[in-house]
Formats: sequence, C-alpha cells, structure tokens
Amino acid sequence: MSDLGMTEADAVGHEDPYPERFLPHEGDQDDKAEKRKLGFAFWLCTAWLVAVIGLAIFAPYLAIKSPNVNFVQPGERPPYSPSGEHWFGTDQDARDMFSRTIYGARTSLTVGFSAIAFGLLVGGTLGLLAGYFRGKIDQIISFGFLSLLSFPALILAILITSLLERSLLTIAITIGILSVAPVGRVSRATTISFADREFVLAARSLGARHPRIIVRELLPNVLIPMGAFSLLGVAIAIVAEGSLAFLGLSVEKGPTWGKIILTASQSSRDLENAPYMAFFPIGVLFLTVLALNFAGDRLRSFFDVRELSL
Amino acid sequence: MKFWVSRLVGAFALILTVSAITFGAMNILGDPLFNILGPTAGDVSNPESVAKIEAAEAQFNLDKPLPVRWALWLGDFVTGDFGVQFSATGQPPVSDLIAERLPRSLMLLVMAQTMAVIISVPWAIWSAAKANSAVDRTSTVMTFFLVGMPTFALGIILKYGLSIRFDWFPATFVANDPFWTRAWQMFLPALTLALPSAAVYQRLLRTDLITTLQEDFILTARSKGVSKRNVLFKHALRPSLFSFITIAGVTTGTLIGGALVVEQIFRIPGLGSAIVEAILREDFPVVLAIVMIVTITFVVLNVLIDILYSIIDPRVRAS
Repeated sequence: MSDLGMTEADAVGHEDPYPERFLPHEGDQDDKAEKRKLGFAFWLCTAWLVAVIGLAIFAPYLAIKSPNVNFVQPGERPPYSPSGEHWFGTDQDARDMFSRTIYGARTSLTVGFSAIAFGLLVGGTLGLLAGYFRGKIDQIISFGFLSLLSFPALILAILITSLLERSLLTIAITIGILSVAPVGRVSRATTISFADREFVLAARSLGARHPRIIVRELLPNVLIPMGAFSLLGVAIAIVAEGSLAFLGLSVEKGPTWGKIILTASQSSRDLENAPYMAFFPIGVLFLTVLALNFAGDRLRSFFDVRELSL
Repeated sequence: MKFWVSRLVGAFALILTVSAITFGAMNILGDPLFNILGPTAGDVSNPESVAKIEAAEAQFNLDKPLPVRWALWLGDFVTGDFGVQFSATGQPPVSDLIAERLPRSLMLLVMAQTMAVIISVPWAIWSAAKANSAVDRTSTVMTFFLVGMPTFALGIILKYGLSIRFDWFPATFVANDPFWTRAWQMFLPALTLALPSAAVYQRLLRTDLITTLQEDFILTARSKGVSKRNVLFKHALRPSLFSFITIAGVTTGTLIGGALVVEQIFRIPGLGSAIVEAILREDFPVVLAIVMIVTITFVVLNVLIDILYSIIDPRVRAS
C-alpha cells in the first residue's frame, strides 16, 4: 500500500471496518508497473480491428461474394440460414450477409474515421489555439463548444441530414460536426497542461514565435493523447451512423452496418425466423465498438503522463 | 441572483438561436412551396397554378421576408399554435399531432429515467460495499459492456430475447389500450433506454460512494456503533449524490436521442416516428416543432438541474 492511499484509520492503528478494499486502486505500485504494458487484451482488440479494417479495405480484391447479388436457391425461400456457402446466412433478398457485413464495414468505418478526422482537424485545432492563447480567444472558442454541446446531438444530426442529400460525405461531416466540441474540449485541456511546461518556456526564450511553438512543441505532445481519445470517438461515430440509419437518415447508397441491421430487424417475424440476419452484424459491430473503446482506453492510460508522474 | 439572471438569459438566447437557425435552414435549403403544392409549385405558365401558388404563399406567409416569417412563426409558437402541416390540406394542425405523440415519448423517457435510477442506486451501493471484490469487478465489466452497446443493438437483443424467444413482455404498442397496459407495453423500450444510463450512473455513484466512505464522518458513525447498512444508506449516500444528479441531467439529452431510435424499434408512435415521417415527407413545420420541443426540454432540464444542485449544495449559489 502506498503512502498516498493511507487513511486515518491506518495511522491510528484502528481496526477499520472497511479494510483496504475501499482504497482507490490507482495508487498501487503494482498497477504502475502494469500501466507501462498494454496487455494481452489490448493486442487482441488491435488484432480484431486490423482484421476488420483489412477486410473492409481489400474486400473488392478478395474472394468475397458480391453484396448485391441474389443467391436464390430454387425451391427454397430466403432468408437462408448460415452455411458453408453463406457464413452469416443471407437476408430476405438472398444476399450474402457476410459480404454485406464487410461491405457495410467499408461505409461505416469510413464514416467513423472521417468524422473523427474532421473533428480532430476543426475541434483539435480550435482547442489547441484556445488552450495556448487563453484570454479572449479561449472565451470565444469555449463558448462555441458549449453552445454546440447544449443541444441534443441527434437532433442536430437529424436537422442536417434531413436537409441535405445523404451522401457519405454529408453523413461523415454531420457526425464530424457533432464531435468538434468534445474533441475540442479535450484538446484544449491537454494543451493547457503542456502550455506552461519548461520546454515551451525554453522555446519561447530562444525566440520561437507562436506558430512554431504550437506546431513544433505543443502539437506532437497533444497529438498522442488525442489519438487515443479519437479511437473512442470513432466508436461513437460508428454507433451514431447506426442510430441515423434507424431514423432512415444514413448514407443512401450501399450497405452500412446500421442499414443492414435495420433491414434484418424491421419485422418481428424475420427476427423470429432468421435472428442470425440481425445478430451477426450486431456482433461484428459490437466487437468493433468494444475493441475501439478498450484500445482507446488502454492507450490513454498508457500515455497519460500526469498519472505516471504521481 | 446575478448568476440566475445570466443563466436564464443564456438559456433563452440559446432557444431563440436554435429556432432561428432551424427555421432559416429549412426555408433556405428546403423548398416550402414545393412541399405544399408538389409539382404545381414550378408550373408558373398555367394561370390556374399561379393562383394556387399565390393563395398558398398568402396562407403560409411565404410572400413575406424570412425574418418576418420567423417572427410570425415564433409568435404563434409561443401561444401553442405550431402552424399547419406542409400539405395541400394542412390538416391536422401540427399542435394536434404533437399533442397526440408527445405524451408517449414523455412517458417512455420518465419510465426509462426512473428505471435507470431504481437499477443503478442499489447496484452502486452493493458494488461500493464490496469494492474490488469479485462481485464488484464483474459489475464493472458489465457496465463496460452496457455503455459500449449501441441503443439499437440492445433494443433488438432485448426484443428478441425477452419478447420473441420468451414471450414475457409485449413487443408492440397499441395506442388505444388502457393506460396500465400501455405502460406494460413500454417496459422493454424503457429498459432498453435505462440499462446503458444505469451503467453510467452506477460507475459514477460507486466511485463517489467509495470516496465518501473514506471520510472521517463515516469512521465516526461506525465507531458510534452505526451498522454498516445504515452507514451506507443514511450517511454515505446523500453526500455522494452530487455528480449523480448532474450526470442524470446530462444523459437526459442522450436519452432523448436514444428514445427516437427505440421508438422506431418497438414501433411506438411517439415524437421519434413523427419526426421520421415528417422528414420523409419534408414536412418542415412538424420537424421544426419537434426540434423546438426537444431543445426547450433539454435547456429547461439543465436549468432545473442547476437549481436542484444549488439546493443540495449551497456553495453553488455563492459562485
């Protein structure tokens, strides 16, 4: 037990009715050593993500069935159950669910990653500027973030997507706009924690100007924790696409995870007779979201300088 | 006092801004005339169509400049008149549609929030009392899964598991059933919404409880001979509730979004399905009304939480 976690009860030797199990877990020496390793589960998550992303990117070049061909078997009504031919079964139109899931991943992951890329570009930059300059600039930018956060995210998304043509770009930017405020606030907080450090002061006293300090000194330090945070953001963005799909507002062309889950679960009879149609894509989606969450969480504590220096 | 004035002015300004942006975007990006009349709107060579267009423009105030239309709409909105639907007949009025749909969504939200509190408080107390034990670790893993689970996925899983596979709960909502039957029909949708928020609350409350349990006054209470149970429920719970209340307010916003999706899955004809139908028909007055109702609810809730917060913790009022 470290000194930090010591309670009054330990000091007076009183028999504590709540022994050390009430102490915060973080302060332990063992945990500190543990924190420097990413752990097996992290690599498992990474492997899953690499597999899904790899399949999604290379889908057109791999021996995967087309997602839009109807594999009708004479004498039988689709949907067909999973088999060696169709690993995830087929949907009501006899289209291969495995390939639809992978092609859905293409759209869903593109939406997820480009939305957060947009958020990082806009929110990250604004947060960096706010955290570095403080004062008036900080006030204005922070107020902007607050206004964005102060109305329900899905309503904003509904507003934009209902008015514009629902292309992949529109959906990605819509979700990207939603991520600007949360990403920006983290970026601002991280920048503030670095802005007064000695190396920034050193650069300034050597005569470096603001742009140089921001790009050369602050950006590399802010980028790493932001990268870990944005993995969580990608997970949220993927789920957001799914939610929009359930409101009929996702990308219009081609399968997405949200859309295939919606078609599979729309009628109770289909859900009863062919639950695999919904549950395979849900499983893949859930594992991906979980892997992104876990990997992001792990990376964040791995790179958390403040926690380590305690 | 100054704090409350600025808080209320801010909330009011936000609602006005949202209404202006929404109203403006819909009128500039959309084509209201086309949505009312259909193809007739573009047919300016036919005198009969021109007469129809002019009549519609006069009826829907489309011949006036945008800011004037916004002011007129706002004036009507404040008095509870949400205008007419964008269709040839304009019937039924938007207010009637909202009056029919809103109570269902509201009931869903209230049920979900109640269930989330009922689930999370005992769960958190249990976890905190057995902090870092096997029970606690398992429940931490469970919260991790629940928080990561998308609402629509959880909804489908619950619908399939508890309603289709095991016929324990009704999966369909019948608008004409008596109140308690409808409440029972809303059990699964509400649970879908409640479980992820319960997980968030549990995490937060557990951490706060564990922190509170290390305070001196807990030790004092225990040394006076207060039982473990009473310490947990009577001494530790109340001071641990601060962040719980805040987060309950913040999640209400997410819950409103989730409710729209859950209504789709369980086929509840509430505001969620109303907005989806309206978007498909490009019936902007309906969309506008729903956006405004949701925004106002959200903003008012946040103000209410601030008030509640200052009642529990007097220090807030001073700052």
